[in-house]
Amino acid sequence: MPSNLPYAADAESPLKPAELQVLRAQYEKEGDYVSVQTKFNYAWGLIKSNQRGDQQLGVQLLSDIFKTTPERRRECLYYLALGNYKLGNYAEARRYNDLLIEKEPGNLQAASLRQLIDDKVSREGLMGVAILGGAAVVAGIVGGMIMRGSRRR
Amino acid sequence: MGDTTSTHYPTAMSNISRQMRRPVVQRAVFSFSQQAPSELVRAKLSTSEIAHRALTYIPDDQLQNIPEDDNTYSLFQGFQASIPEGESEHRKGHRRRSSKQHKLLGAGDVEEDGPPTIQRLKKKRNAVNHKLEMLAVRKNMSTTEIRDIDHKIANLQNVRRTVLDRLATLETDEAEVEHELLELDNKIEEMQEALDEQSTLDQSTSSLNPPRAVTPDSESMDASFMSQSLYDKLPSSSSPKSKRRPTYAKRKSMPVLHEHLESGSHIRTIPAHNDTISALDFDQPFGTMVSAALDDTVRVWDLNLGRCMGFLEGHTASVKCLQVEDNIVATGGMDATIRLWDLSRAKYEPYEHRIVENGDEDKDEEDDGLGFGNEHEDAPPPPPPDAMGDCPLFVLEAHVDEVTALHLRGDTLVSGSADKTIRQWDLVKGRCVQTLDVLWAAAQASSTMSSTEPQWRPTGRAADATADFVGALQCFDAALACGTADGMVRLWDLRSGQVHRSLVGHTGPVTCLQFDDIHLVTGSLDRSIRIWDLRMGTIFDAYAYDAPITSMMFDARHIVCAAGEDVVKVYDKTDGRHWDCGTGVTTSVEDRMAGAKTSTVEKVRLKDGYLIEGRRDGEVGIWTC
Repeated sequence: MPSNLPYAADAESPLKPAELQVLRAQYEKEGDYVSVQTKFNYAWGLIKSNQRGDQQLGVQLLSDIFKTTPERRRECLYYLALGNYKLGNYAEARRYNDLLIEKEPGNLQAASLRQLIDDKVSREGLMGVAILGGAAVVAGIVGGMIMRGSRRR
Repeated sequence: MGDTTSTHYPTAMSNISRQMRRPVVQRAVFSFSQQAPSELVRAKLSTSEIAHRALTYIPDDQLQNIPEDDNTYSLFQGFQASIPEGESEHRKGHRRRSSKQHKLLGAGDVEEDGPPTIQRLKKKRNAVNHKLEMLAVRKNMSTTEIRDIDHKIANLQNVRRTVLDRLATLETDEAEVEHELLELDNKIEEMQEALDEQSTLDQSTSSLNPPRAVTPDSESMDASFMSQSLYDKLPSSSSPKSKRRPTYAKRKSMPVLHEHLESGSHIRTIPAHNDTISALDFDQPFGTMVSAALDDTVRVWDLNLGRCMGFLEGHTASVKCLQVEDNIVATGGMDATIRLWDLSRAKYEPYEHRIVENGDEDKDEEDDGLGFGNEHEDAPPPPPPDAMGDCPLFVLEAHVDEVTALHLRGDTLVSGSADKTIRQWDLVKGRCVQTLDVLWAAAQASSTMSSTEPQWRPTGRAADATADFVGALQCFDAALACGTADGMVRLWDLRSGQVHRSLVGHTGPVTCLQFDDIHLVTGSLDRSIRIWDLRMGTIFDAYAYDAPITSMMFDARHIVCAAGEDVVKVYDKTDGRHWDCGTGVTTSVEDRMAGAKTSTVEKVRLKDGYLIEGRRDGEVGIWTC
């Protein structure tokens, strides 16, 4: 089964709009009684997209699948992790991915996804610290100026 | 900015510590380095982000409950399989650029037109293998989907059952409330009448018998009305007078339950008679049924409650045919009379109007009338004269032998008798307007037509002796179809009184017949059902059962027959399917061997998928179909 999961790189290659449209049409055609596979197809197509809105919808559909079909949960974990990773929700991504690794220690895709998440988080973490630090400095300066201004008055 | 971030961090902290407290997701998160600050900021700032989080959040109990994966294919395989071939190749190209290169090289090879190399064949083999795998996955997908659908259907069936139960309760409630309304109406009417009578009494004590007028109607009825038997089966809650406005005639609501039941499901069984059912009919689903049996009674039933509403008394012999048309019931009996009843008035004024057609039968009629006269001398005070004008009841006497078939439509009634005539009656005038002599018509036809065509040919079957001369009748406007014991179906023109077409085909007496605007369906003791094209006069379809057909009726979808079995034989016109309906269906072969008793179905009636069958043991079964 692990060999049947796509690597994270696969999620970075968006489908052509026409292809996504096919999946969407299928999903909409089946209406209320949509099959799990169709739902997944559409969700996966959405997650592969570059649009943030699409990705969010994809993750939402996946969580629907997760909630309604227990027998697909294990697979869904990976895709949820992947989707959240693409969305930048690393905490959620890690939550799902770690759970999957706990269940399947030998899952190569999950392992590589964990690596990706770690990398991303540490990089963004540094940047974030820098940004926040900068913001704090700016706030301090502004605050100081305001304080000074008020004292002057 | 500083403020918001400073509130963010504590909430984020608490968020993380909450996550850490969760038993499953115990992760070593002690610093923010595991979580990018950009994520925190974004998640906290945008409402759409928050909504999205809420929507996609998966509770821990679900995360804990992850069953082992035993699917035959993964969702991703399914995805790959469902992407059209060309597109999947395109996708593969994205995934592994190197393979695309290979493909290009391969394409180049083909263009070179060189001899096939092992490599290329291998590649081809791989491709075919892949195709095979994909096909297997698709197959699995389909089977899984079918299983899913089965589950869904099962669920929906359960839901449907619940809703059906609800519908049934609602209809019962509806009937009850309507009954209540009716009773209230009647009470109001009664009080109004009592007031009126009081005022008239005060003004003048003329023709009315004072004590009777004062006595409550129901009391006087109980005390003096002769045909007690007619009333003792009435619903006791309401006095006979309250039946003035019959529920069945003016029901505001239309029961629809039977339309939603599975076809062939049992609605009710009524132990209606003690002897073979000889005729039955009903006005509408869950309406009123009238049944006649060889025990010489004619009974009226409330199909909704399954209760007997009363007896129609008057025939001096068994009733062989009857029809219910709205509130009018026509019965034809072995006593050679046809009687018409108005159910909406019959409750308290049943034997009022009688019309004598033939002078030479005046005496009999007088005698009869005398008997009834005695009865309705004791009857309760007559209703308002206009009500009487609305509800005439006739006895049509002209036939000299038993009446075996009749059909009522509008103001016209046609009847067929063992005296080998068919009579047409005008119900407005209440007299016979035409007599058709079947044998004469047959003879004339044979003289005018080619002599080779047999016009009256006894079929020589043993059944002929017992078969009714006129087995079935139906008229529409000036068109009359009749099926007779010689197996012929004759189409008459009532304006000229001539047979204008004879349908030859049945080899036994015709026992039942019905036509709509296109087809004429006949059933015969020769065991066959024949469907004729009415315009062409040719046979359209035919099929046969194992035993003589005694009764048949069709509606928009089904043709139902009684064919000497303990089940009703049903033919579905739309999908050409034959099936059985009735108690006998559930009786297994073993039970039959063991001697389980089931009774033969004698008569069937069908309207709007509501099927009633009358059996030889006097029971009446109601089914959907």
